[in-house]
Amino acid sequence: MLLFTLRRFNLFLFTMVLLTILSFSLSFLFPGEQITNISGKINASPESIELIALHYGKHESILSQYWIYLNHLFKGDWGLSMTSQLPILDEIYNHLPATIELTISALFIAMIVGIPIGFIAAINHRKKSDDLILSFAMIGYSIPIFWLGLLAILIFSIQLGWLPSAGQISLLYEIKQITGIQFIDILLSDSPYKWQAFQDASSHILLPSCVVALAPATIFIRLARTSMLNVLETHYIKAAMAKGLTFRQIIYRHAIRNAMVNVIRDVGLQFANLVTLAMVTEVIFSWPGIGRWLIESIYQRDYTAIQGGLLALSCFIFLVHIFTDFVYATLNPLAREKNRGSR
Amino acid sequence: MARDNIYQEEEFPSPLVQLWFYFRQSPVVKVGFGCFIFLCLLAIFSPFISPYSPIENHLDSILLPPAWDDNGDVSYLLGTDNLGRDMLSRLIQGTSLTFGLSFIVVIISLVIGVVIGSLAALTKGMKSSFLNHFLDVILSIPSLLMAIVIVAILGPGLSNTLWAIVIVLIPQFIHITRNAVEEEFNKDYVLASRLDGANSLRILYYSIFPNIVEKLISQATLAQSAAILDIATLGFLGLGAPIPMPEWGAMLANGIDLFYIAPWTVYLPGLAILFSVVATNLVGEGMRHALKARKEN
Repeated sequence: MLLFTLRRFNLFLFTMVLLTILSFSLSFLFPGEQITNISGKINASPESIELIALHYGKHESILSQYWIYLNHLFKGDWGLSMTSQLPILDEIYNHLPATIELTISALFIAMIVGIPIGFIAAINHRKKSDDLILSFAMIGYSIPIFWLGLLAILIFSIQLGWLPSAGQISLLYEIKQITGIQFIDILLSDSPYKWQAFQDASSHILLPSCVVALAPATIFIRLARTSMLNVLETHYIKAAMAKGLTFRQIIYRHAIRNAMVNVIRDVGLQFANLVTLAMVTEVIFSWPGIGRWLIESIYQRDYTAIQGGLLALSCFIFLVHIFTDFVYATLNPLAREKNRGSR
Repeated sequence: MARDNIYQEEEFPSPLVQLWFYFRQSPVVKVGFGCFIFLCLLAIFSPFISPYSPIENHLDSILLPPAWDDNGDVSYLLGTDNLGRDMLSRLIQGTSLTFGLSFIVVIISLVIGVVIGSLAALTKGMKSSFLNHFLDVILSIPSLLMAIVIVAILGPGLSNTLWAIVIVLIPQFIHITRNAVEEEFNKDYVLASRLDGANSLRILYYSIFPNIVEKLISQATLAQSAAILDIATLGFLGLGAPIPMPEWGAMLANGIDLFYIAPWTVYLPGLAILFSVVATNLVGEGMRHALKARKEN
């Protein structure tokens, strides 16, 4: 396990170096002055530009400029947003938690719905229900997300009036920001209307997270189905059948556990895709997350925000990736053995 | 004594012909393939078959519902939008923008990806490991975010979004080509031609490419469905096709404000996107099934 951790740590370092190089080079690639792009200080006088240039080591070699940029990042100085003139790190701190909430809840919905349906499809392999599930899955991951979001708003918020269509929580509730994650903040707050606020927040998150979850859920259906089919063909299942276990026992005791492991390996890979979907959904549902903030900053040509947002969002995705890798390695001893080199 | 059974002329179909044989077994896949061909034809011949110009305004017939509605007019089969533009013509012309351009995008990124991927497969050691990690990092950035960053560099506009999507799609082609070429290189028939004195490039061109081409095509269909969705999404967000162009995503965004008065301006482009993505996915699915069936036999 130690070697596995070291390898992952190594990969993490490498990724961070690449991502920071990418975001550093973006300040050169974006239109306009590099020094304005990296610091976000627009309309600065020539004297203060000279000061900022000194501050960022503009007159030194490109390598030391990068090194200075890294130092700035570690000190928490990510520049100012060009539109709001607020520090980027504060903006990210305000927006990222909402995205984390949305993506994590969507991921859970996708897994809870998708994986069992995939198992059912695999158990009824080559029957009517299998075909039905597969064709549903095909439509599910072909549907354009912005269209689905609009239809969901039309049906569930306007025609049926069941769920709210925009925002994270009703403006009636005043919740102090402590951790940034809305649900935890509500539980920590000492407001007398805690539970009403909690209900309101959950009814707000339900529709967007279901919209985000649909496409990943269909992918989980397919992954779970393939992995279950593979497991059902293995020798230990045949051995269990030969021992005379009932089908139910085989599925619950042996097949599900082994099939789950393979699905979990791919959760990390799906996460980048899920964040893409969440970015568009945030625009449609006016969700105050980092995706909407990024898309708005492109309309306003806020290049500092795009650099910082790219860095923060990719870090988040990569951390989830590594986390699922660890879960997979803990669950599956084979993955660890292979990394040590099986003898 | 007549030895008539010693030489029987047997026909060995080429890998692609075998693939086609398995491919056409499933009726659903055949329907999907038919739709795919239909969309291709529509994309090529759209200027000739659309009844009106996609940007022509018919100011006397604004927001007409489709013809089957009571208020509809049969000369505008699918109705008109808020500027009196014929929906049917716009949808037909949109095929060549959303669907046709996604085809071109995939072909460009396929070619670039295959070249880089096969070169990568021929190198070993440090460089190859670096490339692997590099691809992992690129693949872990969400495709839309990457496209947004590239659009921010190049500026909005249709051709710039297309380049952005090309760049976003390249890593997966590099990945799959590299893995497929490396897998084939370990097989005996490659060893045989190497013993005959063929160099790596010759082996790559004559022995390996014919055997991995189906894998690449099946990846290309996946990439195309992603490309259609990406083009439409960027169009929807207003970063892709400029205003008068009948790109499906941009049409949908145009219809949002009228969603309650004129729902067909939102339903129809969405259905068109769904239809083309399902058709592409069905072709890809059929291809993967055929590949599997051929491998098993």
